[in-house]
Amino acid sequence: MSIDILPAGRARRGFRDVPVPVVVIALAAIIYVTAAVITGQTNQISFAGLTGLLQRTVALGLVGLGQTFAILVGSIDLSVAALISTVAVLASYLMQGDPGMIVPAIAACLALALCVGAINGGLVAYWGINPLIATLSTGLILQGVLSAGFTYLGGRVAPEYQALAYQGLFGVPLPVLLLAVLALVAWFVLAKTRFGAHLYAVGGNPDGAKLAGLRVERFVLAAHIIASLGACVAGLYLAARLQSGTPWIGRDGIYDLESIAIVVIGGTALSGGKGGVIGTIAGVLLFASLDASFNMFGVDAFLKQVLRGAIVIAAVAVYAVRNKGHVA
Amino acid sequence: MTAVLEMRGIGKAFGTVKALDAVDFDCRAGEVHVICGENGAGKSTLMKVLGGSYRPDTGEVLLDGEPVRFQHPAEARAAGISIVHQELSLLPFRTVAENIFTGMEPTRWGLLDRRQMDERARSLLDRLGSSISTSALVADLSIAEQQLVEIAKAMLVNAKVLVMDEPTAALDDHDAHSLLKLVGRMKTEGVAIIYISHRMPEVMAIADRVTVLKDGRHIWTRDRRDVTINAIVTAMVGRELQDFYPARGATEPGSPVLEISGGQSRYLRDINFSARAGEIVGVAGLEDSGKGALARALFGDSPLAAGEVRISGQPVSLHSPRQAAAAGIGYLPGDRKREGIAPRQSVRDNALLTLQAMAPALSSPNGGARSRQKVDQSLRHMDVRAGDFGQEISTLSGGNQQKAIIARWLMRNPRVFVFVFVEPTRGIDVAAKAAIYQTMRALANEGRAIVMISSDLPEIVGVSDRIVVMHQGRIAGELPAGAEEGAVMQLALGVAAAATGREMAS
Repeated sequence: MSIDILPAGRARRGFRDVPVPVVVIALAAIIYVTAAVITGQTNQISFAGLTGLLQRTVALGLVGLGQTFAILVGSIDLSVAALISTVAVLASYLMQGDPGMIVPAIAACLALALCVGAINGGLVAYWGINPLIATLSTGLILQGVLSAGFTYLGGRVAPEYQALAYQGLFGVPLPVLLLAVLALVAWFVLAKTRFGAHLYAVGGNPDGAKLAGLRVERFVLAAHIIASLGACVAGLYLAARLQSGTPWIGRDGIYDLESIAIVVIGGTALSGGKGGVIGTIAGVLLFASLDASFNMFGVDAFLKQVLRGAIVIAAVAVYAVRNKGHVA
Repeated sequence: MTAVLEMRGIGKAFGTVKALDAVDFDCRAGEVHVICGENGAGKSTLMKVLGGSYRPDTGEVLLDGEPVRFQHPAEARAAGISIVHQELSLLPFRTVAENIFTGMEPTRWGLLDRRQMDERARSLLDRLGSSISTSALVADLSIAEQQLVEIAKAMLVNAKVLVMDEPTAALDDHDAHSLLKLVGRMKTEGVAIIYISHRMPEVMAIADRVTVLKDGRHIWTRDRRDVTINAIVTAMVGRELQDFYPARGATEPGSPVLEISGGQSRYLRDINFSARAGEIVGVAGLEDSGKGALARALFGDSPLAAGEVRISGQPVSLHSPRQAAAAGIGYLPGDRKREGIAPRQSVRDNALLTLQAMAPALSSPNGGARSRQKVDQSLRHMDVRAGDFGQEISTLSGGNQQKAIIARWLMRNPRVFVFVFVEPTRGIDVAAKAAIYQTMRALANEGRAIVMISSDLPEIVGVSDRIVVMHQGRIAGELPAGAEEGAVMQLALGVAAAATGREMAS
């Protein structure tokens, strides 16, 4: 007995129909191709050129995947940069060039990330500390301990481990495959599982989620653990890529702020509950193609930051218009 | 019929305020039990106890005769208690189906079963008589449609007890009518339905029993055939008038100081309003009646989109609080902690806030009218009791904070012509209330116009020289000084046409 008392949901507006990741990836492609054509470096638009481009997205992409989870539940993680440095240093210290130590070192790093994530999540979810403050503080603590102790923490990764960062499968570098696989897993979790649906619910409306019977705190905790694990994998990758970790590797890469930037560019709302990892991957692609284009033009690296900043602002402004006031 | 739900002697206090005091309540299978009460009567608190959001201090809840103690809303939901919440708990950027299944998503081989979600959501919405697409984003729906999604969400679990907290508040008559038919259908399915509503005709139409709460206490529970709208309204407001209200002005009010004609905004319709010199105009109405919007419009916080405002006959533009302050309106917000005071600053700095804000940027912060002597004089004039005016204002009582905020405006004398008080005595103890009323009367007697926006009926009736009652964004009617509380309530509920024969909002 269906009486039509209400019209169906309003028709979606044209501009809003296009998914954010598509727009961002298209933009990245346009920038990259334009730069290559203008500078006459059309050899960049080749398989080798593109894999090189993708290789440059790996570290930031891995952090960004984790950061997406934290931001989706309405939190944020500023400790990722310090954790990356810690993991990179710890991995090379534990390995000391010994291939037998590869697995234990990775396990130790993952365990550390688990702890850091649990502490971040605990502070935010159960103690109610503002996530900016909580994760900034754990980051500072990590960075401080690391800087104080690094003189004793020399070391380098095993050559076999280092090789992982340089090998490829069918011409695709292994790290790129790793990022792709993890992105796929993250997308799957968010889009296809109950856990993912609950993360969106918690981020979109914490009170509503609680009233719907969800234990909100657990999901915030889980998201922070995932954010830390993302940073951990990024740190492990950087250690392999660079042979050994330094205590400034995370800070110098500005992985904390840039990971937030690519998440936001990817259309994930800072207020939580909206977005996803495909957007984040699109965001990191945009940043990487910007970098590559600037290199092709031979522009000053500092100018690059100016444009990155402008892109973040432009993205947030565009989303604000699209969402009629729901500013990221 | 046996009671599915029994609540015995439920008590709940927040600090020293008793929100619920030994309330008994029960609901049977297949009945609609309506709870009526004013704002703050304890209806929502009682339902939050039932829903597991609050734990009661005293008393017990029995479900099917078994005592239950819910630690979390999840447990209440699992036990078969479904609540349609008054504040929407939806996720704007998720689809209708995703919203309906929040927290209870069906899975297939560990994965979300979206097909089942869509199908079951569809059949629930069909049962509600709605054709909303299950894949539409909630942000794209109208408020009424969102309300239906909220109801579908509550109906998802096979509820033994369904609580609907003012479900028709956001619906127009047609949608509300469909909803009532649905409630009737669910009743025949044997669900125990608890229904909270302010709409009297609706209450009379669907109730099997009616319970009235007031000030956290259970007044009575009666069968529908034994009650009348009047009996309900009387029980809702019935209380002794305390005689601490100051005497009304001896002289007739003067010429209009504040006039609004044809005021319109998102929340307000056809506002024609005036306040004269020496007069206290009380503005009454339920939550969301538009009285708060009127206050914010007067202070330029959410300006009128159309209409004209005059102060002392001069047209003024009120598009920001700054313009309103410059035009001579003094504003005393209802949420004192958030909007009224700067809690960590001194009493003196708080009293100076407006003067500082309006002063030229490069002027001396403590010069001339803003000197310490002038501030202290003004605070003493308002009889603000503080050990030292240099102490943080948050250490003062609510009444003294309120007086300090009045002092803030009086420091702009003689350029404040209208005072807008929002909930002037909320959170203020009885003794301090009388002092605030006397201050308001004194401000009026000095030739200013006072607009008092309040949810406290005795206050409205006791203090006002004229009562304006709002209902659904319009002025529902006007009553003279000393009107009955019941008459105000009837206008506020929209059950009586205004004495002045003003057109009623539907």
